[in-house]
Amino acid sequence: MSGYFQDLFGGFWSILVSLKVTLRYLFTPAITTQYPDEHRFQPLRTFNRHVLTIDEATGKLKCTACEACARICPARCIELTGGGKGKDRRAATFVIDHNLCMYCNLCVEVCPFDAITMWTRIGELGAYTRQGLVYDQPTMTADRFYPTPMTPERPQGAGKAAGAATAT
Amino acid sequence: MGLLQGKFEPNIFTTTADWLFNWARKSSPWPMTFGLACCAIEMMATGASRFDLDRLGAGVFRPSPRQSDVMIVAGTVTEKMAPRIKTLYEQMPDPKWVIAMGACAISGGPFYYDAYHVVKGVDLIIPVDVYVPGCPPTPEALIYGILLLQEKITHDTIAKPSRAAGRTDLLAAKA
Repeated sequence: MSGYFQDLFGGFWSILVSLKVTLRYLFTPAITTQYPDEHRFQPLRTFNRHVLTIDEATGKLKCTACEACARICPARCIELTGGGKGKDRRAATFVIDHNLCMYCNLCVEVCPFDAITMWTRIGELGAYTRQGLVYDQPTMTADRFYPTPMTPERPQGAGKAAGAATAT
Repeated sequence: MGLLQGKFEPNIFTTTADWLFNWARKSSPWPMTFGLACCAIEMMATGASRFDLDRLGAGVFRPSPRQSDVMIVAGTVTEKMAPRIKTLYEQMPDPKWVIAMGACAISGGPFYYDAYHVVKGVDLIIPVDVYVPGCPPTPEALIYGILLLQEKITHDTIAKPSRAAGRTDLLAAKA
């Protein structure tokens, strides 16, 4: 009979010991990020959707359509055409097919003009059709400063110029 | 999509029934436990405590296609796996949806051009409702895809397609 109660007690004790971690976490604050309402902290270098950076003084694209990104892309998802001659050469069309993109950042690393970046925090992508994930140049053109590997922080002079431009 | 599907003209009763059915369906889109490649790791992370799919009612990963509503195709669909995926999709009961998660499931991704063994997009074998890009997508992106799917479910209806819509389709086909 005493062996029976000993077994009972042993069983309860083993449950308590095995639930120790669970019970401890019952009294710690929850780590869940309430996603659609609040966003998790993302480091600066998180890769998200591409953005074509602009020269804030002139408001034009920095891209000169050299096609270095299109050539190095392992998934071959970048298509672009250029327009203009010499110093005025700019990308006329620039399409990134995010059905194929594998977010490897090679297009950003190879770009000699600092014209494309993935450090953008634009991560909420999704569509009902495949065509909805093909982003073209007006969609990807930056509307403000985005950090790039060459200029991770906003240069002071450019910020002043942009501020003056918005003030006038 | 069920016994009542397509039996009635659109009227006040079907809209109320739509509201009820869509509310129930969008509040519990149970996904199938089904991972093909590395995207499944992110799918598991989405179901875990940090992001917690249970907040959307979608965290109950079912081990059987007979009990699940949403198939999250997470990963590369190889030619050998394709007939199995089709079978699993056909085994699911009827209000069913598919989320293509990741570049490989959407279009073959990095295997699109030079691979002999990958299906170039899971929408070639089963109909896909929501496409979530990424390689792999972050848990936030997958949750965003599920939110898109819930939005899509709210627009479902059990009524017959209206005659006016059919007529415009015919007119468009003639023109």
